[in-house]
Amino acid sequence: MAQAAGTVEARPRGAAAAFDRPLLLTPRENLAGYLGSHLGRAALFLVTATSVVAVLLIFVFIIREAVAFFVNPAALPPLDWTSTGSAFAWARAALSFIVARLAELLAGTQWYPEAASPEFGALAILVGSLYVTGGALLIAVPVGLLGAVCLSDILPFGARQAVKPVVEILAAIPSVAYGFFAVLVLAPWMQEHLHLSTGTNALNAAIILAVMAIPTIVSVSEDSLTAAGRELREASYACGATRAETMVQVVIPAAHSGIIAAVILGMMRAIGETMVVWMASGNAAQIPSPWWDLTQSVRTMTATIAGEMGETVQGSDHYRALFAIGLLLLAFTFVLNLITEHFLHRVRRAGGTSP
Amino acid sequence: MEARRIAVVAGLVAGATLAAWAAFAVASEASKQTLQIEGSTTVGPIAEAFAEAFMKANPNVQITVKMTGSGDGAAALIDGRCQIATMSRFMKPAEYQKAVEKNVTPCPHAVAMDGVCAVVHPSNPLKAITRVQLRDIYAGKITNWKDLGGPDMPIVVISRDTSSGTYEVFAEKVMGKDKMSEKVEYVNSNPQAHARIKTTAGAIGYVGLGFLDASVKALTVDGVAPSRKTIATGVYPISRPLFFFTNGYPELGSTLHSLCTFFLTEKGQEIIEAKGFVPLTNY
Amino acid sequence: MIRRRPSTDPLRPGRLLRLRGAVDRIFTGLASGSILLIALALVVVLAPMLWRGATAVLFRGTVEFRLMQMQKFGRGNRADLAVELVQVAEVRQPVYGMLDRFSRGIATDDLEEEARRLYREFGKQLDRRDTPAQERTELRSLAKHLRDDFTEAVESTDKAAAREALGRVLRHADDPRLKGTVAEGFFRTAQDYGHIVDTVDLSRRAEYAKALGEVRDAIRALFGPRPGEPRPPLVMDQYGATRWDMAERQLARLLTAEKWVEVQPGQPLQRIEVPREQQFAGTDLVPLFPFVRERAVEMLDPRLTFYWQYFIDDSLSGHYFGGVGPEILGTLLITVLAILFALPLGVVSAAYLVECAGDGRVVRLIRTCINTLAGVPSIVFGLFGLAFFVIFLLPKFGFPQGASILAGALTLGLLVLPIIIRASEEAIRSVPPTYKEAALALGASRLRCFVTVTLPAALPGILTGVILSVSRAAGETAPILFTAAVAIGSTAWPPWSAVTKPTCTLAYSSYHIAVGDRLAALVPHNQYGMVMTLILLVLILNIAAILVRSRVAKRLRGQ
Repeated sequence: MAQAAGTVEARPRGAAAAFDRPLLLTPRENLAGYLGSHLGRAALFLVTATSVVAVLLIFVFIIREAVAFFVNPAALPPLDWTSTGSAFAWARAALSFIVARLAELLAGTQWYPEAASPEFGALAILVGSLYVTGGALLIAVPVGLLGAVCLSDILPFGARQAVKPVVEILAAIPSVAYGFFAVLVLAPWMQEHLHLSTGTNALNAAIILAVMAIPTIVSVSEDSLTAAGRELREASYACGATRAETMVQVVIPAAHSGIIAAVILGMMRAIGETMVVWMASGNAAQIPSPWWDLTQSVRTMTATIAGEMGETVQGSDHYRALFAIGLLLLAFTFVLNLITEHFLHRVRRAGGTSP
Repeated sequence: MEARRIAVVAGLVAGATLAAWAAFAVASEASKQTLQIEGSTTVGPIAEAFAEAFMKANPNVQITVKMTGSGDGAAALIDGRCQIATMSRFMKPAEYQKAVEKNVTPCPHAVAMDGVCAVVHPSNPLKAITRVQLRDIYAGKITNWKDLGGPDMPIVVISRDTSSGTYEVFAEKVMGKDKMSEKVEYVNSNPQAHARIKTTAGAIGYVGLGFLDASVKALTVDGVAPSRKTIATGVYPISRPLFFFTNGYPELGSTLHSLCTFFLTEKGQEIIEAKGFVPLTNY
Repeated sequence: MIRRRPSTDPLRPGRLLRLRGAVDRIFTGLASGSILLIALALVVVLAPMLWRGATAVLFRGTVEFRLMQMQKFGRGNRADLAVELVQVAEVRQPVYGMLDRFSRGIATDDLEEEARRLYREFGKQLDRRDTPAQERTELRSLAKHLRDDFTEAVESTDKAAAREALGRVLRHADDPRLKGTVAEGFFRTAQDYGHIVDTVDLSRRAEYAKALGEVRDAIRALFGPRPGEPRPPLVMDQYGATRWDMAERQLARLLTAEKWVEVQPGQPLQRIEVPREQQFAGTDLVPLFPFVRERAVEMLDPRLTFYWQYFIDDSLSGHYFGGVGPEILGTLLITVLAILFALPLGVVSAAYLVECAGDGRVVRLIRTCINTLAGVPSIVFGLFGLAFFVIFLLPKFGFPQGASILAGALTLGLLVLPIIIRASEEAIRSVPPTYKEAALALGASRLRCFVTVTLPAALPGILTGVILSVSRAAGETAPILFTAAVAIGSTAWPPWSAVTKPTCTLAYSSYHIAVGDRLAALVPHNQYGMVMTLILLVLILNIAAILVRSRVAKRLRGQ
């Protein structure tokens, strides 16, 4: 290319700059520049890769401790590589131990980790997380979706500019402030006015988590509803549909990927929330007795980790059990994240902006 | 342009100097001595009052206090994260074992005496309870106050969480081998237990002596009311000493030693009494 | 007969259409209702906390408050305060007098101790006077009888028996051998006590004693320790009611007694209030209560106080007095450090993703990882921070194992990294391509173009991202639970010596003061004040971000 540039004959007369050098240099001619640009790109890439490294480290460190909960070298028979019989026995013992631990963790309802004979049945805790998240979504999805509809289609521009900061501020309030409100204001109110025996229960936590999840649902849904485009709406109106029918039968189905992503993001927010449930859900590791009774205390995974981590000694069974629960949480949110990304990818492909 | 370049260079130079100074200071930061105290929410207020009085007398010592539960304190001492573990129970053999594995020798200092008081809301007509009844309530066998002669209200059972020394003492002296029912609500600290019982008419729970006041009612257990006299003499069935644990006996004359023997001074015992606990001596 | 024809007027909507219209209106109503509900939720959640928190800063402070500020923080005008204290002591004096006169009859322990002391002092006095041995024995035996008779009188609950015992004491009042000695104290106290026996219902002494204890506690809580009493060891006991609302609560406790009485057997007890005048009817103590009720304002001198130093003061006695200065400092330190870690990484990553990255598999992996990082629950960050930074990494660099600001900041930095990356990416992408093309056309290299043209143009957007991540980092509690936070302890200064130690932060202290702190229930204004500070900090940051963003949007739209 240098030769090609060098053969350009036309030299502008009177030009101030004498272009006697070619405009593009080969790597050989400008080694410093070549190396600089490529090394620079590599450096940038490495820096960007720290987020990958961080995620890997998170997984590695949590899996390391969690796996130690399921594997107990002391309980295995001695391994003799040479004899297949002993190897089989060892493998069978290891596998059965892992399966037993997993079954206990996922299906047992007795969580007494510090008792003389510890039991690590986390089913009640998992169910508690489910109740609180489910309750929160039950409240947050309709309100959030309708709010998004209002923001995208019903409110005039000025009102929209006024409402968006309200939603953003709701999202920005720290979770400990919500927890404070839940335990000092909402719990006594519920006890007094709803005549419940206890104000710190699943309902309390669910309401507050719904308030925390609504901004996420509103903003992501609103983005995807707006991304559906004016043409779709105008076509529907042209066919004589009312606004309700347009929204429900045309726009929302068109934006369904974004809305599903919004709901899942809201769910992730609710599941991962710690302070509110630790302060306001009562922390009783039980499955509520008529299953629909949300006014009983429950305990969630996050509250268990936050509450019990301090008392464990590093390397003890309890410590590892908490990491195992943390791993469950991490795996669950990771899978939800992947699903969200898939749906958002579809939104992006359809021409909308990513939130 | 020039001014900006000068500003940038000056900024970089200043930043470099600052960084060097910081590195130097971090490396040689023995000027202020820090002590970390972690552990029980029962003993925590005593530790906090001690720390304040101590820091006022010795300004070059800095003491931080964290109160989340006796078990947390034990774990922190064993892991080396704190110098004093405040505990409202003695260390368990399992904890001693873990400590020995990590070359830590916990040494107890009993600083005060305390009683675990069974409390209910003041509107509850019940005045006395036996240990057996308490056990049955917490094990889930008695679920309504009318079974004890009270009003027809479901019993809301409040317990401290498992990292609490108060919980351990209660479990040991009242529950014995029985496990607590799953319906029991767990709170994280004495003040939270107190707040829950203060506001819930059907609640029963247990708090340390220092947390009794006019807004909750303490029941007599097996006929003995919790008071300084009954606890000091051990007549009250659920009494216990409160401990500071350190890694080995602190070196004589060190700051840690002064802090660990502060409870022997008159001021220390005054503080303990002012906080509502039973002092060890008749100062 | 009018035949009713079905409506065929094309301009009048049929039933189905009206139904559809109704559904549409209901839908619109529901949607608007949702927005109203969301706004209402915001108001309902924030208003109580901000309103009650404001009372931590703006309230009616009493003379005890000004005294505490002077003694503990060195603020205020000493001369004015001295004058005020003298005035207030004058008004309070009668209260103590009335209290003393009454309690002499009730506090039998004091009287018995007094009698024993008199006996001991008399014995010492006899020794000093060198009295002959026989006389000494006689006098001591007499004094012993006086002491025992007096003690018997004091302990008896029967008026007649008490009066009789007192009579036995007073029979020796004219004994010439005891004139001018300490033993005369016996007769004085016996006379005082005789007066009390006449006025007090001795059989109710136990009940009086309990109620008197409550009255005394209330007066101590109102006015602090009596002048002349030794200083209490705890700071919270050294001053009376520092705020008028606290004073009013104590006044209520002083002026009315609370009793729980059985209304029906088998039902919960009911709370009734008994005025103290009724409780102490017929005794000397009755005039105390109307006196205090009328002159309470004079005794405490409440004035409107704007305690803005709440935001910079240390807290005393575990948040009983003082402010949230150390918490604010700790929060600032930890968030600034977290941003210092996350900002360079974030901006450089965003630059790479926008400028150099294609859309290959590796880049998609990176984006997935960034999204994963954004979705990890905060408690898992806390676990990771504990397992990696506190236990594994920092000890390798020689730091002692334990919570520290450094570990907390690293954890928070990881937490906010995705926010900064996303915000920076958006900002860099929204710079009009004409800027970049113009710079490239002028011959700038890509790096120079980025640093001198794109980055400054994207700076407001990056700034928004930084502000949002500061607000997020300041509000997160779970990541710092195990890595950096303590409940009590002031942050070390200078900052570089503080980074290896733990600190109190607004977020953790808000949690601790809400559920973990014993005194907090007695000072709700401090509880709410702490959470109000946190919310204000976050609100200010978010409003700043919103303003910056709208200015950027305006500028870009004005292209």
